[in-house]
Amino acid sequence: MRWVDFKDSVKRFWSDYKHQKSGMLGLIFLILLVGLAIAAPFITSPDVPEKWQTGVAWITNPKNAPPSWENYFIKETKATQVEYTIQNMHVEKAVNGTYNVYTLSMTYDMRYDVPPADIVITGLVSNASNPRQNPVVKVDLIRPPEPGVKENALTLLSQIQLPSNGSIQVGPLDQTRSHLLYWLYLNGIIKIPNVPPQMITPETINMFIMGNTTLYQLVAAMDPMRVMFGRITDDNGNPLPVESVISKPQSFKGTYKLVLTITAPKEVALDFTNFKVAFVGRTYGLLGTDQFGRPIALGILWGIRVALAIGIAVAVSSVLIGILIGVTSAYLGGWADEAIQRFTEFMMTLPVLPMLILLSLYFGGRINLKELVFFLVLFGWMGTSKVARSMALQIKEQTYVEAARALGASTGRIVFKHIVPQLLPYAFASIALSVPGAILNEAGLSFLGLTAQNLITWGQMLNAANQNAATINGYWWQVIPPGLAISFVGLIFVLIGVSLDTVLNPKLKRA
Amino acid sequence: MGMSFGKYVAYRLVNAVIILFLAVLLMSALFTKLATIQLEAQVQDTVVQEARAYAQQHGIAPTQEWLDERTAYWRHYYHLDEPYWKRTWEYTIQTFTFQWGQSIQPVFGTHDVVEQIKTALLRTILLFTTAEIIVILVGLGLGVKSAQKPGSLLDRTISILAMVTTSLPMWWLGMLMILLFVVYLGWLPITLYSQTAVTGWSNILKKMSLPVLTIVINLFGGWAWTTRNIMIGTMQEDFIMVARAKGVPERKVIYGHALKASAPPIITMIIFGLIGSLGGAIITEIVFNWPGMGRLYWNALTLNEVRTMMALNYMFAVITVLSMVLADILYAYLDPRIRIGAAARS
Repeated sequence: MRWVDFKDSVKRFWSDYKHQKSGMLGLIFLILLVGLAIAAPFITSPDVPEKWQTGVAWITNPKNAPPSWENYFIKETKATQVEYTIQNMHVEKAVNGTYNVYTLSMTYDMRYDVPPADIVITGLVSNASNPRQNPVVKVDLIRPPEPGVKENALTLLSQIQLPSNGSIQVGPLDQTRSHLLYWLYLNGIIKIPNVPPQMITPETINMFIMGNTTLYQLVAAMDPMRVMFGRITDDNGNPLPVESVISKPQSFKGTYKLVLTITAPKEVALDFTNFKVAFVGRTYGLLGTDQFGRPIALGILWGIRVALAIGIAVAVSSVLIGILIGVTSAYLGGWADEAIQRFTEFMMTLPVLPMLILLSLYFGGRINLKELVFFLVLFGWMGTSKVARSMALQIKEQTYVEAARALGASTGRIVFKHIVPQLLPYAFASIALSVPGAILNEAGLSFLGLTAQNLITWGQMLNAANQNAATINGYWWQVIPPGLAISFVGLIFVLIGVSLDTVLNPKLKRA
Repeated sequence: MGMSFGKYVAYRLVNAVIILFLAVLLMSALFTKLATIQLEAQVQDTVVQEARAYAQQHGIAPTQEWLDERTAYWRHYYHLDEPYWKRTWEYTIQTFTFQWGQSIQPVFGTHDVVEQIKTALLRTILLFTTAEIIVILVGLGLGVKSAQKPGSLLDRTISILAMVTTSLPMWWLGMLMILLFVVYLGWLPITLYSQTAVTGWSNILKKMSLPVLTIVINLFGGWAWTTRNIMIGTMQEDFIMVARAKGVPERKVIYGHALKASAPPIITMIIFGLIGSLGGAIITEIVFNWPGMGRLYWNALTLNEVRTMMALNYMFAVITVLSMVLADILYAYLDPRIRIGAAARS
């Protein structure tokens, strides 16, 4: 085929294909997906695949949090994720003897019915040579003024060590709890009769509470975050009963101020570049998070790469190999044909998924991307080869092939020059139509936990969801998006494949 | 010169048995390797236990010769002293002749592999074959209907549905069903799907309802679409035009002439569908906690029960070969032109 002919046939094909509405829709979405797959490292960050499997990277994220937009559909609005970096904080540095004292403050607009799930402080790098030199953090929360409340400011942590690259989860700490209870005591919500006030401190208050069974049970079930962002007095400034403050806290909306005081010896250098304070949301981002706090949306975005890579690699290889085997079989005929056909049938007999499971066990339990593509091709070429053979049998009998043979053309020349080009249209449609199958197989294997863990795939996300009993717990955001993504990519290729089939194979009926 | 029908059937059957045997041979080779690792570990464990018992009884640790002797005894017991290929061959013959033996741990309440597969197969038939029959009935009906008026609303809807549903993973659809009907609507109790065993017919029927619905939604579109394409292909043939020209009523043209002529590929599809349903679906059965063939495979896999897995793989291969052969034979019976091709080749 000469270059002009090629250009001409491409032009003719395109003018036909343009009129296939569904095909064009599929093509547009495919281009969009390829764009997203390429852009993923730039939109997010290139180290996402590395971080994906390790829990530490997601410590500031809420676990099993629904998407933020759920707030528009429910009566009770839930706090969304808010993160502060050093740029969003007000920083003051002072010197106290041989210590540097940094005061970092930030304002937080609390306008939700359900306050944040936690406050996490992380990402401070320091070069302390021994644990005693580690920076020490004090955390204060300044609440908006509330009628009848004397103490607006509330210390959450009086002092806690923060090792280099360590993290502090404020909510669950015992220290936070004690300080919170002490603050409730100061404001007259918790009453401890018959004990002189000077005996009650944040350190001792737990002991006194333990003596009162009802109060102790209340406190044991307390969510400290809801209490520190909750109302403690009514509109007239009268203290609310302790039961309602602790077990049914009503959120207290307004502007809060969080102040961190970090004290470190002068010789210890602090690097705040990656320093982060997160008001952990009860909802998160576009698609929520899974049980490890990994954002679902991030997984969906990165999953496009593996899905496309596997789908296209498997489809192209298995169709090309299938066509080559089918055409060779048809062209050779006789015993060779018979042998190839029996081998094809033999391969068709092997059950695909059970064999894939078996082979992945054989290869040490989890198979990587290359092995996966290899196996999917190994079990994926037979259908194409059967069709290609029957089509080649028809073409072989046509006069121009006979003419070529009479002129002394070699087997290779006849196969590649005269038979294979005739099959190319079928090949293109067939490639597009076999992509969904490959993606479904990958998803199935990943769902069973048999693919390598250095990949981010939709199947593995569904596997995580299944381990988390996401369906039974009603975590729909962990179940629906990955499956929808798999189906969507499948649908795109079906649309393209069916349109290609209509345009390219108007006559050649599959026998 | 056509081959006689009897001869053709015999030819296909012999062919199928040979292919099946080769498939079992390959799988045996893989499984024998897996079983070797497992059995070697078991021999080690047994000998260590025996050594401990010996030490308790005699007050001294056994000699190295004693240990070697016991190891050799157990290795012989499990045929590990025989060469790999000999064991593969014996395993092939055993599997092929349904002598599947015992599993080490009980699966589905029994050690007997034949029993395990019987139980699982019955449950899979109950679920998947029932669903497949519904799929076939719905799919054929809708396919024929939409072939009558190509381009109609029904026809276009079915084409779109077919494309969409074939891209859905069946097991994911199952998860959605549980999410919708069990968790959000609460029409069915969670315990139906959070545990495998249910008792009583009404509970079994209830448990079946969601998976059957899932399978039907997942597969009927594809069926309808294929039927439609086959029917439309037939409707363009000359004899239909002749029938119409003769004034045969349209209903009779469709259900009498066209459907009859489209029968061979449709019957092939039915056979593939029905026999294929015997294999169940591993992941769908896991999602619904349905104790069928697929679930048995997964249980055997997690328990590392090589014998059960091998027997199941054999069954899956039998199912595929059976449907291929039956389809071929029926096709040849219904459409005698096929046999000429086969005769010309052999």
